Amino acid sequence: MADGLINLTIDGAPVSVPPGTLVIEAAKQAGVLVPHYCYHPGLPVAGVCRMCLVEIEKAPKLQIACATTVIEGMVVKTQAPAAKDARRSVLEFLLINHPLDCPICDQAGECELQDFVFQEGQRGTRYGEFAKRFNPVEDFGPDVLYVPNRCILCTRCVRFMEDVAQEPVLNVSERGDRAFIGIHPEARLDHPWAGNVVDLCPVGSLLSKDFLHKARAWELDKTASICTGCSQGCNITLDTRDEVVVRVRPRPNLDINRYFICDHGRMHYRWMNRGDRIEAPLVKKDGGLHATDWDEAFARVLAILRGASGKAVALVSPGASSEALVAAKRLLSGFNWTGAFQVVMGEEAPLAGIPNLALRAERAPNAKGAEQLGYTRDYAQALATAKSAAVVLVLDEPDCAVETDGALIYIGTVLGEDAACRRADVILPIANVAEEEGTFVNRDGREQRYFQAKPAPGMAQPAAWVLEQLAQTMGLAAVP
Amino acid sequence: MTVQEDYQPVFSGKVLEELQTVLQRYPNKQAALLPTLWLAQREHGWISDRIMAEVAEVLGLTPAYVKGVVTFYTMYHQHPVGKNFVQVCTTSPCNICGAEEVLKSLLEHSGAGDAGATSPDGKWTIVEVECLGACGFATPILINDDFIESVTPDKVAELVRKYR
Amino acid sequence: MGYPHKSHPKETVVLSQYFGDADARTIKGWTKRGGYEALAQALKMDPVAVTDVVKESGLRGRGGAGFPTGLKWSFMPKEKKKAHYLCVNADESEPGTFKDREIMRWTPHALLEGTAIAAYAIRAEVAYIYIRGEFTEPWTIMERALAEANAADVFGDIKIHLHRGAGAYICGEETALMNSIEGKRGNPRIKPPFPAAAGLFGLPTTINNVETLAAVPHIIKRGAAWYKGLCLSNPKSTGTKLFSVCGHVQRPGNYEVTMGFPLKDLLYDMCGGPPAGRTLKACIPGGSSVPILTREETEATLLDYEGVVAQGSMLGSGGVIVFDDSADMVYQIMRLARFYAHESCAQCTQCREGTAWTTKIMERILAGQGKTKDLDLLLDLSENMTGKTICVLSDSCAAPIVSGIKKFRGEFEAYLAGKRQPVMVG
Repeated sequence: MADGLINLTIDGAPVSVPPGTLVIEAAKQAGVLVPHYCYHPGLPVAGVCRMCLVEIEKAPKLQIACATTVIEGMVVKTQAPAAKDARRSVLEFLLINHPLDCPICDQAGECELQDFVFQEGQRGTRYGEFAKRFNPVEDFGPDVLYVPNRCILCTRCVRFMEDVAQEPVLNVSERGDRAFIGIHPEARLDHPWAGNVVDLCPVGSLLSKDFLHKARAWELDKTASICTGCSQGCNITLDTRDEVVVRVRPRPNLDINRYFICDHGRMHYRWMNRGDRIEAPLVKKDGGLHATDWDEAFARVLAILRGASGKAVALVSPGASSEALVAAKRLLSGFNWTGAFQVVMGEEAPLAGIPNLALRAERAPNAKGAEQLGYTRDYAQALATAKSAAVVLVLDEPDCAVETDGALIYIGTVLGEDAACRRADVILPIANVAEEEGTFVNRDGREQRYFQAKPAPGMAQPAAWVLEQLAQTMGLAAVP
Repeated sequence: MTVQEDYQPVFSGKVLEELQTVLQRYPNKQAALLPTLWLAQREHGWISDRIMAEVAEVLGLTPAYVKGVVTFYTMYHQHPVGKNFVQVCTTSPCNICGAEEVLKSLLEHSGAGDAGATSPDGKWTIVEVECLGACGFATPILINDDFIESVTPDKVAELVRKYR
Repeated sequence: MGYPHKSHPKETVVLSQYFGDADARTIKGWTKRGGYEALAQALKMDPVAVTDVVKESGLRGRGGAGFPTGLKWSFMPKEKKKAHYLCVNADESEPGTFKDREIMRWTPHALLEGTAIAAYAIRAEVAYIYIRGEFTEPWTIMERALAEANAADVFGDIKIHLHRGAGAYICGEETALMNSIEGKRGNPRIKPPFPAAAGLFGLPTTINNVETLAAVPHIIKRGAAWYKGLCLSNPKSTGTKLFSVCGHVQRPGNYEVTMGFPLKDLLYDMCGGPPAGRTLKACIPGGSSVPILTREETEATLLDYEGVVAQGSMLGSGGVIVFDDSADMVYQIMRLARFYAHESCAQCTQCREGTAWTTKIMERILAGQGKTKDLDLLLDLSENMTGKTICVLSDSCAAPIVSGIKKFRGEFEAYLAGKRQPVMVG
């Protein structure tokens, strides 16, 4: 047991893990996924589904890998005939009451019951003509539907609400094969983090109303991203179909959000698909805004910048990427520069069972990044300064009520009908978070990268590219 | 949570005092759940969703949690039952000694008709239960809290008359 | 109210000495009969010494597992760092078993005394006696006895509480019992951790059966050697046991015999055998969760842990269920399967679904719609339900199925071949 690690063998492969590691986790080191349902690294161990039974030398009975701790010299066989038989029998037992709903079930394609039946199950059922248990669908709350017939009683949802959310609003009701997941009639599943039970459910029993019948799992492209709902910086996956974001799911990050995201972030994606986007650069000509190409638009901006001196104010969104913020500062480095941002605030909603995880009051992903780059929160002051500034640059703040005697450059995704920024001299279209790659800095100072999930509309380009192009053309040195 | 205007809390006055005694026996409130539910059922006859919510409040638990416990244990009634709640054991040791005939006789004489149903006069609810732990004195039945042994079909008429 | 019979001359009367004697229930009556002397004696000994005496006596758990009691007590932590608990399992729900209730009804103080001695030996400050909800009479009697004992301040620093169950056979499983005391659903826990390390409220706990503890005062008073000497066959099985005989016998009831006693003598001599004109067909010797014995096996069985195993079954709780030739084995096995399906807690897949499926197949066979492959299916399901779950309820459902098909196959085949009148199960 050199360097404190325990050495064991799993399916013939040597594995070395810290003491206290569960066999099911140790198996991952050997590249072995032990089939399971009720186990989840983010939840307390239950040991009820019995799927992960494995053969361990010298143990008289099969042992569940999710509750067995490694011992020096242990020999584990996940593919032993007895283990495979046990697994097949668990699947058979699960399927006797589980309806053949795959054609109409949202989970199809990302269903762990499908996966393991395909991998290890038997071809047909021996249940014969007995009737399956039937219970009607239940509406648990704002976003969650419960389909009892599909439930395999893994109790992940119950354990999540009890131990992680620390609000036991789900229970197991009744006993034996009459059991189902219950909720007290006077309660709703409206906890700010309740949506995670849908992700945790291995089958299509707990469903998101938002995603119901919207897309098939195999139609989805998945892209790693960072949630823009608040400053926590939860890691997410954007699921797109035909270049439309249809779902947001958590990506595991043990240091930040573990395996979860809050409902605010989960539902916070429709804006990424907005149709009313600025799709071409616009320049003020003959009293109105005219669409043009990037060359003319850039030429106009450069003319403004080269012809101005004195004060410049940048009013930026705390949702802009750090790269864009750096480039904006660089572009205005020849001026007496003020950069400012304001953050929409909301109520904080912690996930009680996890330290340092909450829906944060600051509802923006990169306020910290902006701060670190020298942008101030004193927005009112900046607005006042903008009045007499030579150049005002507004970065993706469509409702910015700025007034200036100088030149106004608006760089953004959308622009309202009566927006103050319609009076800008130049309007440049940019990509939103789903359409570009970039960096956010969360409230703890962590820099995290997000990636492009879909193309930007029309001629829109990432803000960072737009600003860097301009800065480069002006021959401005990069800010160290 | 909607509150019925006319809801009378179960745990008040003497019952609340009794609850305090119960709480003394356990190191935390959650452990007092089963005896608290027994108290509630004794006072109210059955345990409604609203009472589950009250019990939850009194013990610092959630209504859903309490409901999960109530539905696990078969002796807690989730619906009103007849004046005489009768449990008849029909598991194998009693079964081979005529338990099903005793059940049938009880259903007939009481007017309850079907097991689990309440008789039209509201006086009888008769259910089949599993082993009551008196197998040598077949067939045992419980009428409310009265444990009666060695019941045979010929004794049923008299029993029903006595308890009606 | 059922009165126990007068002791049969072949019985070894220890625990059952005062069954039927109402005076023995009061503390005055009990102390007059020598009660609480053993407790006083034990309290003067070192707790470890008390455990050693019980170890030496060979007492084994009478709830069904037969685990050596002294050894179980010695699993408690040697160093007392946290609170210790004792739980008394009075959940008696194993079909065929009705001995613990007699102990509580007639000798409540015997149980209280044994509880206190055990609590002292394992250094538990608090003991909970978990009495199943249906035992209304034993509950009342125990309440009264406990009040008397507390008033007489017999237990010193040990606190004994009664906890009432609410209708769940599974709460007789030791970890489910602890969960039930904690105010939870009666779900068995995965082991490890074992109760002696982390049990009730996460603290070191020992769980003992009523009959086991009722024997303890006798052992302390009369010595380990005396108890060890009560042995008719295998020296690993000592003392007396209350056997609850029920079903098709003329004189059902609890009979206390020395370990190793012939089952044949118990059934025929003491219980009078089956009713006149009937012959013994089958017998389940240890409560419904153990394999069924044929008549030949029954008549060859010696009643101790090893003796019953030798015949292919287990001593279990000692609930002896007798079936004569009028019994429909298929129907009764269906009824047992239904029992397990009703009592399954729902945690493990094999048990939750398997007990119900088994019951459905049995009902189908009885209804005359069974298929020949149903028997193989039942055996395969039973194998899948054995040795793979958190607790053994699943295995217990398999036991009558496997032994029933093996030993009474003819009765099953009669239904399959349409040779028996179908039985519609409600």
